[in-house]
Amino acid sequence: MSFSVQDIIERTRKISPVDARYLAVGIFTILIMIIPLGAGAFPNTVMIEIGFYSIVTMGLIMFMGFAGQISLGHAALFGCGAYISGILTTQHYLSPWLALFLAACFTGGIAAAVGRVMFRMHGLILAGITLALNLLFFYLVSGLSDLTGGAIGMTNIPPLSLGQYTSQNILFNYYLLWVIAILLLIFSLNLADSRFGRALRSINTYDGGSEEAAQVLGINIMKYKVWVFILSAVYASIAGSLYAHYTRIIEPNTFMIQFSALVVLMAIIGGRSSPWGAFLGAGLIVSIRQLLREFAPMLIVGPTGSYELIAYGIIMVVVLLFLPQGLFPIIKKAILKRRPGFS
Amino acid sequence: MDYSIALQLFFSGLNLGSIYTALGLGFFVVYSVTRVLNLAQGEFVMLGGMLVVTFYTKGIPLVPSILLAVVITSLAGAGIYRFIIFPARKFPGMTKVFLTLGCAFIIQGIALHFWGWEFRSLAAFFDTPSIQICGATIFGQTPWVIGATLIMVAGLFVFFGHTIQGKALRACANEPLGARTVGISIERMALFSFALAAGIGAVVGALITPLTMTSYSMGLPLTAKGLLAAFVGGITRVEGVILGGLVYGMIESITAGLIPWGNHNVIALAILVGGLLIRRRGILLTAGKG
Amino acid sequence: MKVNLSFAEHSKVPILEVKNVSMTFGILNVLNNVNFSVPEGNILVMIGPNGAGKSTMLKLISGLIPLQKGNIIFRRKRLNGMAPNRIALLGITQLFQDIRIFSNMSVIENVMVGSHFNAEANLLSSGLRLPRARIDEHRLFETARRHLSLVGLEQKANINPTSLSWGHQKLVGIARALATGSQLLLLDEPYSGLSGLEVDNLNELILKLKNQGITSLIVEHLTDILMGIADQVIVLDHGEKIAEGTPAEVQNNKRVIDAYLGSGQPAKEERQ
Repeated sequence: MSFSVQDIIERTRKISPVDARYLAVGIFTILIMIIPLGAGAFPNTVMIEIGFYSIVTMGLIMFMGFAGQISLGHAALFGCGAYISGILTTQHYLSPWLALFLAACFTGGIAAAVGRVMFRMHGLILAGITLALNLLFFYLVSGLSDLTGGAIGMTNIPPLSLGQYTSQNILFNYYLLWVIAILLLIFSLNLADSRFGRALRSINTYDGGSEEAAQVLGINIMKYKVWVFILSAVYASIAGSLYAHYTRIIEPNTFMIQFSALVVLMAIIGGRSSPWGAFLGAGLIVSIRQLLREFAPMLIVGPTGSYELIAYGIIMVVVLLFLPQGLFPIIKKAILKRRPGFS
Repeated sequence: MDYSIALQLFFSGLNLGSIYTALGLGFFVVYSVTRVLNLAQGEFVMLGGMLVVTFYTKGIPLVPSILLAVVITSLAGAGIYRFIIFPARKFPGMTKVFLTLGCAFIIQGIALHFWGWEFRSLAAFFDTPSIQICGATIFGQTPWVIGATLIMVAGLFVFFGHTIQGKALRACANEPLGARTVGISIERMALFSFALAAGIGAVVGALITPLTMTSYSMGLPLTAKGLLAAFVGGITRVEGVILGGLVYGMIESITAGLIPWGNHNVIALAILVGGLLIRRRGILLTAGKG
Repeated sequence: MKVNLSFAEHSKVPILEVKNVSMTFGILNVLNNVNFSVPEGNILVMIGPNGAGKSTMLKLISGLIPLQKGNIIFRRKRLNGMAPNRIALLGITQLFQDIRIFSNMSVIENVMVGSHFNAEANLLSSGLRLPRARIDEHRLFETARRHLSLVGLEQKANINPTSLSWGHQKLVGIARALATGSQLLLLDEPYSGLSGLEVDNLNELILKLKNQGITSLIVEHLTDILMGIADQVIVLDHGEKIAEGTPAEVQNNKRVIDAYLGSGQPAKEERQ
């Protein structure tokens, strides 16, 4: 028995789409699990960062890629998770795990309330509203200094712990984060292929759906938009809580529009049609940034951070103009040679 | 005493309102011609402000500095249309929004490269001193802000309402096919609208630099505020943008004056977003169409 | 006794009644006091020149345009003010002239969207792919495949609908509508863009559906194609019903001939 790549590809072509999906997740999981064995602490912290971005982007992909809605305010949802976790653990001394769960519930509740009014409007106006809401969140956490520490932020947020391990331990945090990311990936993949996923794609006016056609087939578009927004918010909130308990310090600037724009960028580059796109996009963008931070100062003089912004912009424009569906469909095609029904 | 506070709030509201109006005008110009929501508009403002500061501190007098900044920013706007938006003109509106977001990243990166992380500021235009009226203090820059906004608004009114060029611009948005058949080049009009919006943005940048400091990262928040002002009033009409901008400015000024608790921004934004969510199509359009 | 109910008697029960429906867009009178009823199991064809208000009528029935004046009753239930998705669940499905096929999913998935509410699994069990969700998926798949084979496209289940011919796309649209358990199909100019052979196939399918007890309301501006399959014809002109009856009766009606052959002038004069 040989285990060449060709062999695996050959086998994936013979099995059903659902099995292929689990096989792909399995291979991905093994890859993720063995990375820390060979790498040092530094690549692990980068991978942890990719993990945070991946989870938020996965939520955004369900909102933007499945349902075709626009959000430029996901940083607020991410921040909501982080701040609620922080407040509950530092001021009410709750267990970080409970705080993570409660933050996800609360953020989901906010999303439900906001979504119910927000989705009475559609199209590009959502871009304006979500931008404003992101700004509102920023001003709110900067202003409520008694609760959130204001512009300085919150410190000493307790880490998540499991037995003797805490999330201050890089390796423990790595596995914790990626196990959660992979579980959420499985959830998203399953959902994409269920009646919920199909209903969401049917209302996706951005990528070939039609709201009117969906409505006359009995789909309550409002309900599905609100549900996918809640789900998206819960993903962002989980990532936010994990982030807060990992870094143990949070400040309002992290949750500004810049972050929202960055996850949109990741979703577009990775490929918004599939949750896999989140990992591709986040991995690519964080890697590019890391490379630029290390090597750009050797070549050009200037403040750090400027090349990465320019690179993001150029990548975004090039991908949108030449690969409007992002990278994932191309990779999928290369692996599966047009096998239908696999997502 | 109360009278002077009211007057003070009124002037600061007018000042803020003018800024938001002028911000909104940039979105209006691009949107009404091309139906593109230009998320790089705030970056034009930042770029304009930065350029003015640079030229002015190099010893060039103020007016030529502003003119130079406007010209350069307009060229940037035209370039963005020609090389990024134009190739995507057949793509869905959301793709174009994301393209302008990409442009915002690029402009931000360039600004960070040239001007670094520091905040830049300017003195009030021509060092105009503050004015005292009935106990209210008006900062020297305020008359310039209000005056320049008035001129821009009047210019746009005349332009869109009474010139052939302006009517052609509107025709592009309402009847693209019809506009083409009567010989209007939609592409040229769109190019012009991007340049015009960028120029307006640069003027706004110059106007606000003496009031708020300018830094490379202020573009996106400005985009958010300007867009909100434009949507609240109704982005498809000049009147809507003016109304939205003034309402936003007044609310922000009043909340800042009346609410002792530091963060008036939250209240003003919440009122605006709430208002927009309730009156879905903006104040003007809802009032007009019932 | 029920079995013996003759077709003629059976067809007298109206599945849909449209009563005094008027519609204005601004100052434009699109529909003016229109009345008609569709008997259960019939094929009713609504014809009229372009701009007669036929498509608006369909959208009023399916709820995509809110009803301003009058009543629309489906099986003794008033549809006024009901959301389009609720009307769809009652058993009325509108088909669009431009199909609006979902190009972001395969043919079978398009049809599965139609049957989506015929499932019990909730969001959580779908995401976790619990046994209940798997059973659901299986059932939806089978339902969809049955409807695809009804329109003869079972072989194309896994391809993207945009690579099908226009005629086949129309059939997918019909399969998608049938999968909702539709009792009344509202077809908006279903023959536009079809070749002669495809028109015959479509007519055959509509007759087949009629035999299964599905009612069709077809809107068309070409008259001759439909006269063969129509049980009843309604003629609209400038928002008003100008004739009603069997195909033969309508074909000999003077007002109809004027509306189609004349410049439209006679109809206008009568309205004033």
